[in-house]
Amino acid sequence: MSAVDTPAGAKRGRSARLPRWLKGVLGLLAILGPGLISANAGNDAGGILTYASAGSQFGYRTLFLLVLITVALVVVQEMCSRLGAYTGEGLGALIREQFPLRSGAAAMALLFVANAGLTVSEFAGVGASMELFGVSRYIAVPLALAGIWAVTVLGNYSRAQRVCLVMGLVFLAYPVAAVLAHPHWGTVVSNLVWPHFLHTNAFLLLSVALIGTTITPYMQFYLTSAVVDKGVTPKTYKGERIDTVNGAILGDIVSIFIIIATAAAIGGTGPLNSVGQAAAALRPVAGAAASQLFAFGLLGASLLAATVVPLSTAYAVAETAGVERSLSRKLREAPFFYGIYTLQLVIGAIIALLPGNLVALVINAQVLNGFITPVLLTYILILANRRSVLGDAANGPAFRAVATVCVAVVAVLSAAVLVQTVSGWV
Amino acid sequence: MPCISSYASRFMFDLAATGTRSKLRVMGFNKPTWTPGHERHRLSASRLKRNDGLRKRRQRQVLERIAARELEGSVLSLAALIGSAVKDPAGNTVGELRDVVVNWTSAASYPPMTGIVMRAGRHDVLIGARWIELLPPASVRLHSSNAYARAAERHPADVALAHDVLDHQVVDSGGTQLVRPSDIYLAAVNGRVEAVGIEVGAGALLRRLGPKRLRGHIRPAQVIDWRDITAFAPARDEAKHPRGRRSDLAGQPGSGLALGAPAADVKRLRPSEVRQALKSYKTRREGDAS
Repeated sequence: MSAVDTPAGAKRGRSARLPRWLKGVLGLLAILGPGLISANAGNDAGGILTYASAGSQFGYRTLFLLVLITVALVVVQEMCSRLGAYTGEGLGALIREQFPLRSGAAAMALLFVANAGLTVSEFAGVGASMELFGVSRYIAVPLALAGIWAVTVLGNYSRAQRVCLVMGLVFLAYPVAAVLAHPHWGTVVSNLVWPHFLHTNAFLLLSVALIGTTITPYMQFYLTSAVVDKGVTPKTYKGERIDTVNGAILGDIVSIFIIIATAAAIGGTGPLNSVGQAAAALRPVAGAAASQLFAFGLLGASLLAATVVPLSTAYAVAETAGVERSLSRKLREAPFFYGIYTLQLVIGAIIALLPGNLVALVINAQVLNGFITPVLLTYILILANRRSVLGDAANGPAFRAVATVCVAVVAVLSAAVLVQTVSGWV
Repeated sequence: MPCISSYASRFMFDLAATGTRSKLRVMGFNKPTWTPGHERHRLSASRLKRNDGLRKRRQRQVLERIAARELEGSVLSLAALIGSAVKDPAGNTVGELRDVVVNWTSAASYPPMTGIVMRAGRHDVLIGARWIELLPPASVRLHSSNAYARAAERHPADVALAHDVLDHQVVDSGGTQLVRPSDIYLAAVNGRVEAVGIEVGAGALLRRLGPKRLRGHIRPAQVIDWRDITAFAPARDEAKHPRGRRSDLAGQPGSGLALGAPAADVKRLRPSEVRQALKSYKTRREGDAS
């Protein structure tokens, strides 16, 4: 995947003209491993606000759910990287080849909708973080839209991506904050090993949002293409598998610490109403600067994801349609690719500018992702089960059972919430 | 008349001096926009050239559209054939066409059809080409009610067009993925059916997504001649991979067609060119037969 530089790819192709301090930071990251980088990239605006909201609304109660989600995430991401390594093709291409055209088109339409939701939440993240700095979102979001479009289409995208990545590293402060906030460790452990679920609609809805933000469909497309782009072959797949599993687990550990930190700071105060509340959880680390620190990190993470999500949509859709797709092409050479990319950016920015509560908007976008996730996971599962696609590397009976259960549980949960939501409207 | 404006005085002068047409021109009635004192600029040479180019392009588009429509009765479309009913001589439906199998060896530049895969009940069976009559746009008939059918399985040099080629990648000689075929065209001459080209335009995709009864309306847009295709390529073009027989990798996941030339040299035929190519192809084939 030459078009969308992966977080790991950004690390590999380091430019010589970077400032020295940035080189040092990137060198440190290279030692820490790409797992950490991908874990950090997964924690976008949607993720952080959803985890923070889970912590503030339900305290530690969602922790066990997150452990279950981690298992499902490891299973799903392992399948995706295996598909990439053994077939050498992205998920979009595999769906075009292996499914009837109409099913493939339906999958792409769903991916577009899910990613449009994500883009909305990223622009909302940009708006919210700039509001913490005192800039109106009606100025910040259009500026971000123009900046992102110009940098990706006209400028040097990979360098901007690296700056955003480093800004997003702020969220690694959460584990420290969680420890400094002196949470009740006994409660934490008991919530991690045993479910303390609530039988309320709000809890169910937030569960779907957590699933939607952790097992995001776009991440699966991204991961498969990244594995292909890296040139992983069946022979070198073993190392890649370890990296994938590590990345998934590490990412979720950061998420779990976000929930713990928020639960310790503002747990039980009801749903998150503003981004300022989420920033309060960083106070044990940053003191009075917590709000600025949080806004800085959120801005970096949101800008990065607001670039990568529409790019990966455009890449996947163009890959399925079988047309030119690459940022190295000119606008006129790849009109479909750039058209999809621009359309998604503009839709995202416009919806994020509609008046209303930004945090609620972000979490609703994650719920939308949660509804679409099981459908796209079914495609992945069918592909990974097929011996005609993967040969001997296809899912064995045990793995197939575990993966099917994972997808089925996610599907049942989403369906339950969907039915509840729709019956609530009637 | 001391109070009259300069414009009105000019008008009066014109009325007196010239005929009605020039009077109207002075008033500006024959110009799209007119303000007193501003004459319309004459069209510059470059502008005229551009307008001329646009007009020619539009004419060419119309001609291509006509050519595309004329091709409708002369080629078979794989996308339209898939899923259509297979009829016996009495007109009863015996099954549903699933795939068209061609034999692709280095002997022929266009691979001839060797059979079709038909779904009968819950089984896929292979019916040899000698029993089959294909008529454009998508009619499949058997010559005999007791056609010999056997279980569908893969043979060397066999390429199942829908399974192996349609929607798979096409790479050029440099290993760069170009496109995915959205349709495959077959031509029938004297009862012999051959794959003659692949469609790479996006219109065919929309046709396949649309309602089934419209699928017979074939409109070739960008076609690659099958002669330009040299072999099958693996998912990732590894230099060490031996390119043996043309159909060696057919059916493997991620494989696709390989072209013999770099991307820039691959000709994408427009409908009028397709018509030309098809015409010469048919005369050649008919010459072979006689």
